[in-house]
Amino acid sequence: MKPLNFAILKFFCSGKEACRKDVQNALQADYGKFRAFKDSQMDDALQTACSNGLIEESRLELDAENNLVIYYKANADGIASINKYIPD
Amino acid sequence: MSSLANTSANVLAAKAKRDNVFRKKGIIIALFSGFLYGGYTAFMTQGMASGIWTVWSGASSGLSAFTVIYVLSAVGAAVNDICSAIWSLIYGAIIGRLGDFGRSLKSKPGRTLIIAAIIGGPIASTCYVVGLQMAGSIIVPIAAMNAAVGTIIGRFLYKQKLSGGMVCGIGICFAAAVLIGSTGMTGMHIDGQTAIGMLAALGAAIGWGIEGAVGGYACCMVDYEVAIIIRQCTSGIVNGLIFVSILSMIGEGGIGAGLSLLGTAMTDAPSIWLFFISGIFASFSFKFWYKGSSMCGAALGMGCNGTYAFWGPLWCFIVIGLIFGADGYSIPVRGWIGAVIMVIGIVVLAISQNKATQEG
Repeated sequence: MKPLNFAILKFFCSGKEACRKDVQNALQADYGKFRAFKDSQMDDALQTACSNGLIEESRLELDAENNLVIYYKANADGIASINKYIPD
Repeated sequence: MSSLANTSANVLAAKAKRDNVFRKKGIIIALFSGFLYGGYTAFMTQGMASGIWTVWSGASSGLSAFTVIYVLSAVGAAVNDICSAIWSLIYGAIIGRLGDFGRSLKSKPGRTLIIAAIIGGPIASTCYVVGLQMAGSIIVPIAAMNAAVGTIIGRFLYKQKLSGGMVCGIGICFAAAVLIGSTGMTGMHIDGQTAIGMLAALGAAIGWGIEGAVGGYACCMVDYEVAIIIRQCTSGIVNGLIFVSILSMIGEGGIGAGLSLLGTAMTDAPSIWLFFISGIFASFSFKFWYKGSSMCGAALGMGCNGTYAFWGPLWCFIVIGLIFGADGYSIPVRGWIGAVIMVIGIVVLAISQNKATQEG
């Protein structure tokens, strides 16, 4: 089992686009009970990875309650960096 | 990113607001790292002036000059780091991070953090203490160049943004640190010993610069609450077991003598509680240093952390001067002027980085 932050980054190595909720749904079974799995901390982890160039924002939208939903995606360089530091 | 071009204005406004909140949070965290570093300095200094430490530094201690200057400095740092590691493990257990601590240790980013901790912890800290002992306070501004070193590493290793305005901001912060640290430089002459001390301080600047940039970047992969446990446990073990022993061997004491001093210090009731407080401050200070650098980039993160040059003397004045009643800790006018200049430098740095980010 990988640390939660590693699992978040590896999720993006497939190259598909995802928002925080998508990541949580994908990792729920293994990491749902982790205290760092809360929305705010997951948002922080994604935004920090984004500000360091591992992933990038691909799409923005507002949900039904007018909350901002950010979709992220890893480009080829980001995937290469993630795989370099966190091999399978 | 091209799909963002079609995003409506209200969505972009919401994103701008969120980015602003993240940015401000990063700056506040980085500034707090410098503020808390002052508390760590003050309580550790007071710890090394209490209990058994007063006996060791006295004329009748029976310890050699080398042991008093170098081995005791390393023992002081080791006691602080061990207390800080214990606190970090307790705190990590409370917030549920010990599992990821174990898992991260075996990973490449985990090993990177261990190496960064050894370079920035025992090696750079010892260089700093040796520099202070050999050359005096002239080395303080030399060591303050760590922000510039971290910025250069962040630029070339991690392709972080660096503009002319940011270089200007770092230069202003550096000038402020020179002003604050310049107390006691009068009448100084450069001889061989001073030169070695200055080289040691340069070693500290490079070590801390590497740690700030590399540790900060590693925190975009390792949770900073996990990174600090790795950092403090590494520093505590390496400082406590290896560095104290090496310095003790270089002196006339042998390995056992250094470890014996460490054991005595760890069980000295009148001083250990002060080290435990300094260890808690150190834990929060270093984790915010890493977190701030990972959120703002090495240049702004380390520039904000550099305010420790002012917070250190202020905390020493409050804790050692006012609370414990020792003389000689009041802050000269140049210290306050330096603090104001440092704020200007950070504002220039932050605005320039924001501009560079938007242009990029």
